[in-house]
Amino acid sequence: MTQTSVTVKFTLNGKETVKDISPEQSALQVIRDELGMKGTKEGCGIGECGACTIEVNNQAVNACLMFGVQLDGCRVMTVEGLAEEGRLHPIQEKFLAGHAVQCGFCTPGLLMSTHALLGENAEPDDSQIVQAISGNICRCTGYQQIFSSVRAAGGQHVQGRGQEDC
Amino acid sequence: MSNDRYHTVGKSIFRRGAKERLTGKPIFCADMELENVLYLKAVRSRHPHAGILGIDTTAALSIPDVVQVFTAKDIPGKNLMGIINKDQPLLAEDKVRSLADPVALVAARTPQAAELAVAAVSVDYDPLPAVFDPEEALAPGAPKIHAKGNVLVQKKVRRGDVAAAFEKAHTIVEKTYRTSAIEHTYLEPDAGVGFPDEDGTLVIYASTQNPHYDHKEVVSLLGVEDHAVRIIQAATGGGFGSKLDMNVQGFIGLALYHLKQPVRYVYTREEAYLATAKRHPFVIHMKTGADETGRITAMQMKAVCNTGAYGSYGIAVASRAAVHATGPYAIDNVDLECTAVYTNHPFCGAMRGFGTPQMALAHESQMDIHARALDMDPLEIRVLNGVKKGTVTATGQELVHSIGFQDCLAAVTPEYRKAGTDWLSEPTPPHIRRGVGIAGMWYGIGNTGVQNPSTARVAMDRNGQVTLFTGCADIGQGSTTILSQIAGEALGLDAMDIHVVVADTKYTTNAGATSASRQTYISGNAVKQAADKLADVLLTEAVNYLKVKKADLRLENGSVRDARHPEKQVGFVRLASRILDKGGELSWQGYFDPETVPLDPETGDGIPYTTYAFACHAACVEVDVLTGETSVRRVIAAHDVGKAIHPENVIGQICGGVAMGVGFALMEAFVPGETISMNDYHIPTAADMPCVIPIIVEAAEPSGPFGAKGVGEPALIPTAPAIVNAVSNALGKRIYALPASLERVLDASIASGHFNNCYQES
Repeated sequence: MTQTSVTVKFTLNGKETVKDISPEQSALQVIRDELGMKGTKEGCGIGECGACTIEVNNQAVNACLMFGVQLDGCRVMTVEGLAEEGRLHPIQEKFLAGHAVQCGFCTPGLLMSTHALLGENAEPDDSQIVQAISGNICRCTGYQQIFSSVRAAGGQHVQGRGQEDC
Repeated sequence: MSNDRYHTVGKSIFRRGAKERLTGKPIFCADMELENVLYLKAVRSRHPHAGILGIDTTAALSIPDVVQVFTAKDIPGKNLMGIINKDQPLLAEDKVRSLADPVALVAARTPQAAELAVAAVSVDYDPLPAVFDPEEALAPGAPKIHAKGNVLVQKKVRRGDVAAAFEKAHTIVEKTYRTSAIEHTYLEPDAGVGFPDEDGTLVIYASTQNPHYDHKEVVSLLGVEDHAVRIIQAATGGGFGSKLDMNVQGFIGLALYHLKQPVRYVYTREEAYLATAKRHPFVIHMKTGADETGRITAMQMKAVCNTGAYGSYGIAVASRAAVHATGPYAIDNVDLECTAVYTNHPFCGAMRGFGTPQMALAHESQMDIHARALDMDPLEIRVLNGVKKGTVTATGQELVHSIGFQDCLAAVTPEYRKAGTDWLSEPTPPHIRRGVGIAGMWYGIGNTGVQNPSTARVAMDRNGQVTLFTGCADIGQGSTTILSQIAGEALGLDAMDIHVVVADTKYTTNAGATSASRQTYISGNAVKQAADKLADVLLTEAVNYLKVKKADLRLENGSVRDARHPEKQVGFVRLASRILDKGGELSWQGYFDPETVPLDPETGDGIPYTTYAFACHAACVEVDVLTGETSVRRVIAAHDVGKAIHPENVIGQICGGVAMGVGFALMEAFVPGETISMNDYHIPTAADMPCVIPIIVEAAEPSGPFGAKGVGEPALIPTAPAIVNAVSNALGKRIYALPASLERVLDASIASGHFNNCYQES
């Protein structure tokens, strides 16, 4: 329980955000507890599972490993920033159509990893996709429907992983 | 069967609840906003086995923002939990039996205060000798974990004359297999919230696989009337068996009962690892005999599994292990025995497959060893022994319907053969050796030889709107979607046009646990029955209205129409009004309990399940003989699911099961005291996954809803033995203990000479 607080200013999903926070708070705590945005999940708190992945200055990062104060001056995007006016983002649509959501706890993090990947590389190859999502643990899907949804979002129109792939 | 005859069954519609998850809606317990919420945290044992001499909460209570510290004496009802046998207190009274045992519960206004209070609770322990190995726990003089002794249960299945059959056997294989404790590692750590309703009802939202069981247990802990507690399943971020136990629900109930104020308990990952069930580690001694043609004539199996401090689902695990020990093979003479033993290990319970994945390692390894001894092909020996129509199982049950094992073997054959020739003969670097392995499985749908009914309600209102009420917890597998499809099919509606009320003990009746791959089959049948009853009432009224005989009427898109004259039709709205005006009933209850016969305690004779799922996986692996690293390249996975109500959901289960199987095979081992966080426990990432080729086989089950059985657990079962068989194929050396970790594979590589050969060459 700290006595001091720090003011951070950053852009969150396109909106200027100013908040007094405690210096020991993680970016994840700031987003979930201070700003009340619950889309970003906590699965482990130590950077192993990727459920808290957000985008900071176009990079996918684990919000649990970042201090809230480090958000100062950054452009931050969370899963809430994807859909616009109730319309799903194309990545979300591919995940929906590709049956990539089971329990859904890993989904926001995977969406943000995918968003960061495609922001940097609109047409990733398979190994780039695997690299981009391998920090996001999913225990339900075995990743295959996620993988093909990311592929589809990246413009590859292959249905699933075909037998020619392996 | 073609899907053309169906309106929505067999179609991979968008999943219910997916949009909320994709957009990050606050649907999980950790996300729910509550005013003036108190944070709960348990004080857990510091000793694996110790008497409790006293608990001093004074220091904890003096910490600012700490509201209360509860101990066992604050539990107003019965301080004992367990779905099959009750042996687990919510808060320890006289002793602790594992490091996970909770001894006190803190409620505080901030999470920080709760944590400080947990550290400040002082417990006076009297340490007792502890035992962690189940075989040691069986020895005379071993520390006694429970007053009744250390044997939780022993399950036996006996048939034929094993001794005589071994006498006559051409080859006998006798081996010992070991498996590790597995942590489910669902992505959402256990969580719940609670608050008192306006009328004083204690409302508990929980991440759970079985809200109606939770309800019963909380009512019993608190000693209150049924209506005083309401459990609602929140969005549940995976379970795989671990969320069948009471994890946070009892704590929330206890705090709510006393404090009448909103409370929240969200486990950290570390607490979820420490305090929730694990997969039972097994030691399996298996002996099988075959004749000169490769037919397995006898099996003797003695297994000991470690249930840790409490029973949880241990009895079901032991029972299922004994019943499934033969694998999907016809063996006339069997002597099978599985003993579940208490130790001071954190408790083990249900995990995807209930002992069957452990058994599959044994029976599928044996099968390969027999094949090798007889110079037979691994696929051929399975075809020869595989169950088919008319096979009598170890429990004396004749298999009559929906036996798709041979179809599964046939389905993987082309890819398996191609891998065995083309892929294996491709050149590889000298340190890489390739192998191909195959494994089969069977899995009884539903609980073993006991009643396990489900109920459901389907109701139509005056506006023709249909609502499905089901107690079935969707934990990510998609049951709400497929139950909607089943109701929709019966009523000629799109699944998404049906409203759903799910897993809320106030509004839905008991559907039993989301476990044992039972919900599609059992709850699906309950839903279908309710929807069929409603459909029949609508049809009966339409006969009256359209003056067309029932056999010619069809339910289609919210109307009943004459199949021969489609312009002759009447909408559900009109029918609903007419029925209600006459005092008719539009709300119907469905009930289904599969026909089983309890197993004889000595011989296991009986009918454990009405129907079985079957599968066969083939795995292609590459082993680095210098490092022991095993990469699974492909898994071809054929599953007989009866009927795929939602094919993409089935594929999702298969691929997810394969992933869990890869973890079970190669990397996962929970070691108490060492496995603390996700740093210490590795499960497959996208980079560890093979390409999975799912093949859906549909041997329709006549008693299933539209022919469906189940797939959730079967998906995992054959993967690990297929991988182990592939590694053995690659190295010419077999691994008998899971996980086949780097160290074990490297040992096998050294023992087989591959390490040295490669090392000297390079």
